[in-house]
Amino acid sequence: MTAIDFKRFFGKMAPSSLSPVRVMTKEKAIVASHINLVYRNGGEEFKALQDVSLTVKSGEVHLLMGPSGSGKTTLLSILAGLLTPTSGQVHLLGEEITQFSRPHLAAFRLQHLGFIFQGFNLFPALTACENVEVAFHLKGIHQARKKAIELLDQVGLADRCNNRPQDLSGGQKQRVAIARALAGNPQLIMADEPTAALDSQNGHAIIELLRSLAKTSGRTVLIVTHDPRILDVADRVTDLEDGKIVTKLTKAKPGQH
Amino acid sequence: MASIARKNLFEDIPRFLVAQAGIMFAVSLVTIQLGILKGFSRSTAIVIDYARADLWVASKEMVAFELTSPLPADYINKSMAVTGVDRAEILLVRAGRWRGPDGKLSPARVFGFNPDGELFAGWTLSDGTLKAIKQPYTAIVASGVQKSLGLDENRTGSIGGLPVTIVGTAEDVQSNASSPFLFSSLETANAYGDAEINSSINCIRQASGDLDCANSFKSRPLGQKNGELAPPKPLSLSDPISYVLIRAKPGQDLGQLKQRLLTALPETQILTQAEIAAVTRNYWEVRTGVGFILGLGATVGFIVGMVVVGQILYASVTDHLREFGTLKAMGASNGVIYRIIIEQSLWMAILGYIPSMGICLTLGQWTQMTRGIMILIEPSTAAAVLLLTVVMCMGSAIFAVQKVTRLDPAIVFKA
Repeated sequence: MTAIDFKRFFGKMAPSSLSPVRVMTKEKAIVASHINLVYRNGGEEFKALQDVSLTVKSGEVHLLMGPSGSGKTTLLSILAGLLTPTSGQVHLLGEEITQFSRPHLAAFRLQHLGFIFQGFNLFPALTACENVEVAFHLKGIHQARKKAIELLDQVGLADRCNNRPQDLSGGQKQRVAIARALAGNPQLIMADEPTAALDSQNGHAIIELLRSLAKTSGRTVLIVTHDPRILDVADRVTDLEDGKIVTKLTKAKPGQH
Repeated sequence: MASIARKNLFEDIPRFLVAQAGIMFAVSLVTIQLGILKGFSRSTAIVIDYARADLWVASKEMVAFELTSPLPADYINKSMAVTGVDRAEILLVRAGRWRGPDGKLSPARVFGFNPDGELFAGWTLSDGTLKAIKQPYTAIVASGVQKSLGLDENRTGSIGGLPVTIVGTAEDVQSNASSPFLFSSLETANAYGDAEINSSINCIRQASGDLDCANSFKSRPLGQKNGELAPPKPLSLSDPISYVLIRAKPGQDLGQLKQRLLTALPETQILTQAEIAAVTRNYWEVRTGVGFILGLGATVGFIVGMVVVGQILYASVTDHLREFGTLKAMGASNGVIYRIIIEQSLWMAILGYIPSMGICLTLGQWTQMTRGIMILIEPSTAAAVLLLTVVMCMGSAIFAVQKVTRLDPAIVFKA
């Protein structure tokens, strides 16, 4: 069991409100089945992921938690189609991406996925607006500047359009990264430790922003984190340890005891 | 779309300037080598290019314009007798030893022609007139060689003991491969060609039986008589000449005229102006190895440029690897990323090319004015260098492209 503060996640809810994975009634955004990833080095094998199965419903904010080295970022890479598992299947938005070719995967990511990174991964030579515009241009969407400003406005940074990343604070950089991830309205947002480089206040603000964006537009947000401060914004938490899922917890809704 | 390539390039100005210095060095090296090669090639036959002859009668043994065997002067009359010949003029090409006002010797090439003629001297004079060389022992000098000849404001010197007074300057006629050019009348050039220094040994047998010898050197200008300088003697039919320049009558078939001249003038070859220029240029470029050496210099410049740009691009891509990984993770195709790298290489090519060309053009003008050395950068050369620069920069992008191709987009999730 990990050191996650589940009390914080579930707040004042009674322990009886904890329940294992519920029967999914909503559309499934992510379905990973029996994922294994084995690294071989000479005669030695290292099992990075072992029989991992995971389902993320559309429109929910899902946390993938675990200590360092537990395999959560590796799992995120597989779910995003950036890494090919040794075995197992990944379905995103109803399509089995493990069967896709690399160019097909790239096109799928471009169309349906938005990414947020721990280190922001903004282009340092570009302004905030240009960083967002890049995503629009990659997707072939016109009026990129106008739409980039709209997105920056949504994340509260319309007045920072012409600032380069070096002129922005950590929280502002992550907001620009979120605006970029939202370009083209992708259905799935995948975030890797989005609060790790931020202080508590900024970290919470970023997570609230992600949650509100998810809830208002019905996007699915998968967040890899080991930051227990953000438990309370999640709909569901999957806990990973040593490459295996050890816990799947769902926040109970009122009246679902 | 904001140009990531351009922005990456200008992100670090000092580094950009260092990179551009490398490209400018390579482009300048290629341009100057090509310019010298073209300038050298052009200059070796530039005197021919200025002529207005349809055909040139040359010795059968001629190798290049300045390396030929003599023809009898009588060939001028024989040429005129050939049907279809409108005009014929003699050209003498003589070697001389120039002694400048400072007393220093230097080799000189003396061309003799008829100043009233129409077929040879098509060049421009920056000072003086062609008619001025009708005066005995006068010459027109090629611009840019005054320093080599040690000319001062009096503009006098001597060849083989005969005086030379410079009466004009011909623009843009000097060959980079030759001794300084002087242009004189036929008579004067002939006199300079025949002028020589005699030596004699006078020995007296001593009582002891030993010989006491004195070696005397004396210049023997042919025109000198009783201490007075006589004018050079007119060219006689027995004098050797170098070429006969022919102008055909209007409407003549040059091929047929060539054949008639060959029949009338044994032991000759008849060449068009373009042909004799090509033979001369080929001699200098191929037989002397100068073309190979200058071509090698240009090739080295190209390779140096490719290595410099390759290193810069590779380092730039390495610096921005995470950004390229981010693009790949976002779903950008390899094509998009290649375009960024290639655009960056093209920016480097263009921004390196423009100032380099400016430097080379300025340098070319300076060498022409001060040293008489032609660095010929024609529009075609400039276009070829631009193409080479683009190929060089894009070719050097291959390594950077390979690095990005192998890039694992999962890199983006590593903090």
